[in-house]
Amino acid sequence: MYNTRVRGILIKGNKTYSDVSRDVLRPLDAPTPIWWWVTAGLAIIAMAWGSWGFYNTISTGIGAWGLNNNVAWGYAIINFVWWIGIGHAGTAFSIFLLILRQKWRTSINRAAEAMTIFAVMAAGLFPLLHMGRIWDGFFIFPYWNTRGPLWDNFNSPLFWDVVAISTYFMASALFWYMGMIPDFATIRESTASKIKKKIYGAMSFGWIGNAKSWLRFETAALLLGGMAAPLVVSVHSIVSMDFSVSVVPGWHTTIFPPYFVIGAIFSGFGMVLTLMIILRKLYSFKDYVTDGHLDAITRILTFISLIMATAYMTELFTAWYSGSEYELFTFMKNRVTGDYTFAYWTMITCNAIIPQLFWFKAIRKNIAIVFIMSIFINIGMWFERYVIVVTSLSKDFLPATWATYSPTMTEVAAFVGTIGLFVLGVLAFFRWLPTIAISEVKGVLKETTTLKSFTDEN
Amino acid sequence: MKTNILGIYEDEDVLLHAIDKLQADGIVVADVYSPFPIHGIWSRLKLTTRLPYATFVYGAVGAVAIFMMLYWMSVVSYPLKFGGKPLNTLSFIIIMFVGTIFIGTLLTFLTYLGREKMFPGKQVVLPDPRSTEDKFVLVIANTEDMNDQETKHLMKMLKETGATEIKESTVNDHE
Repeated sequence: MYNTRVRGILIKGNKTYSDVSRDVLRPLDAPTPIWWWVTAGLAIIAMAWGSWGFYNTISTGIGAWGLNNNVAWGYAIINFVWWIGIGHAGTAFSIFLLILRQKWRTSINRAAEAMTIFAVMAAGLFPLLHMGRIWDGFFIFPYWNTRGPLWDNFNSPLFWDVVAISTYFMASALFWYMGMIPDFATIRESTASKIKKKIYGAMSFGWIGNAKSWLRFETAALLLGGMAAPLVVSVHSIVSMDFSVSVVPGWHTTIFPPYFVIGAIFSGFGMVLTLMIILRKLYSFKDYVTDGHLDAITRILTFISLIMATAYMTELFTAWYSGSEYELFTFMKNRVTGDYTFAYWTMITCNAIIPQLFWFKAIRKNIAIVFIMSIFINIGMWFERYVIVVTSLSKDFLPATWATYSPTMTEVAAFVGTIGLFVLGVLAFFRWLPTIAISEVKGVLKETTTLKSFTDEN
Repeated sequence: MKTNILGIYEDEDVLLHAIDKLQADGIVVADVYSPFPIHGIWSRLKLTTRLPYATFVYGAVGAVAIFMMLYWMSVVSYPLKFGGKPLNTLSFIIIMFVGTIFIGTLLTFLTYLGREKMFPGKQVVLPDPRSTEDKFVLVIANTEDMNDQETKHLMKMLKETGATEIKESTVNDHE
């Protein structure tokens, strides 16, 4: 029998191998565009304000924040979890889609991994800042010291966090860099500029690309990827344990690890969608990041949104079914209704309801709407962390200590500063590094797929 | 001086057929330079790597080493009770799990660089720089020992199998 299904192509425009290198590397040789300077300027202003926030926090102490005895975790932890969530996209994209043999990942994984690196950097700043005495930050590492020697508490989720996030950062950075080595060699061999040849040559580590080096490269990439896959799951599970090992109502639930991991992948894919729409517009990468690619991401988001909705409903059900009045109070009187109704329903609307519009093809095909929806997902995921951190802490077991929380300018500045850092990092990536994995795209140039996202186009 | 003959191909499928034909004819294909990995080549050139075994050893040794570190620090060196939990606890698993991945990833990457003899700033000369772009460069090694007839036959075979360009190179093999 003939296979009668129409097969869709991954890369459009009948590209040759040299077309791929030329298209991807064109922005590296072009003069720096105006939009780059403008955005970089804004990012630097944001970072300057953020530096003020950091300085204020370090010189004054945590008292510069709007925290109080009850709500001892505020913006810093919300933003930390938010950034870590966004930082899950790169590895989720590269690794899970690698394992699932989704070849369409090749156009996107490089940018998603870059995003991971900068998001994790932004995330890492918050716990560091939250220590208060940042100059004693090295106490967290188990080293031979004169305090006993007093070692870390290896049963503390906060210590697990340090280990998990530094490992995640290292593994993602190595995986990302390794993928770029052959592309650096391509730049080294094709560039006319002597300075570029030197710099990219040094960064290519002397890559030659013969049969044996490709074999080792592929094997090493698969091994690094295979090890990073459980890491993706474990990092956010560990972050969730910062909350779930406590006895605070709304935190003390077994659903937290999977709920956090799914949430992280959701927000990560949301940010990937935002960035890829911008990237393909700015650099005319429509043949590489096709409408099919975006369609595939929106389909994944629809599915993950359903899981998110299930998690939200499970939480409510468990609060009721547990018979614990504290749980029930937190969920029903302090989230669904009560002081934090706005945050809760923004979360539900952005994460569980709006992405369901992706069921409609007309919406999936309208890139402007897809772009706006991807931003809504990022906002919704921020509010999810706000709901988790603030609502539970503000009203716990002892009504006499109930307190409300609102951030000070210092906290807002620190948050805006990390957004500036992220944007500046992504801009540097756009400007000086190959934004699409050249060698991987060349490898799938002839590939076709039966995925509906790609066949619908023909 | 060592001389190699390079057959330059435009397409990876043509190249794979070419390797088959050349090998059937008794010609030894020394190496292939390509812009992206071609999975069919490794079995044809009988190339293998032991990198996965190394990774397994790193992971296993790493897991044990980290357990020993945790045990020594929290049971032997400074046995301090936290929240009534036993000193040697099951929650060590979390640090062991992540630490194993840390050690495995880092050492695998370093081993990869070591085996490839790659380091920042290394200078290399490729037999044909276009192999990082869009050409597939097939290398026949040590052709200076061949007599005229053998060389002629080799050239003919390369041409017949679809090489668009044939040239000599004095760049040494990288292996």
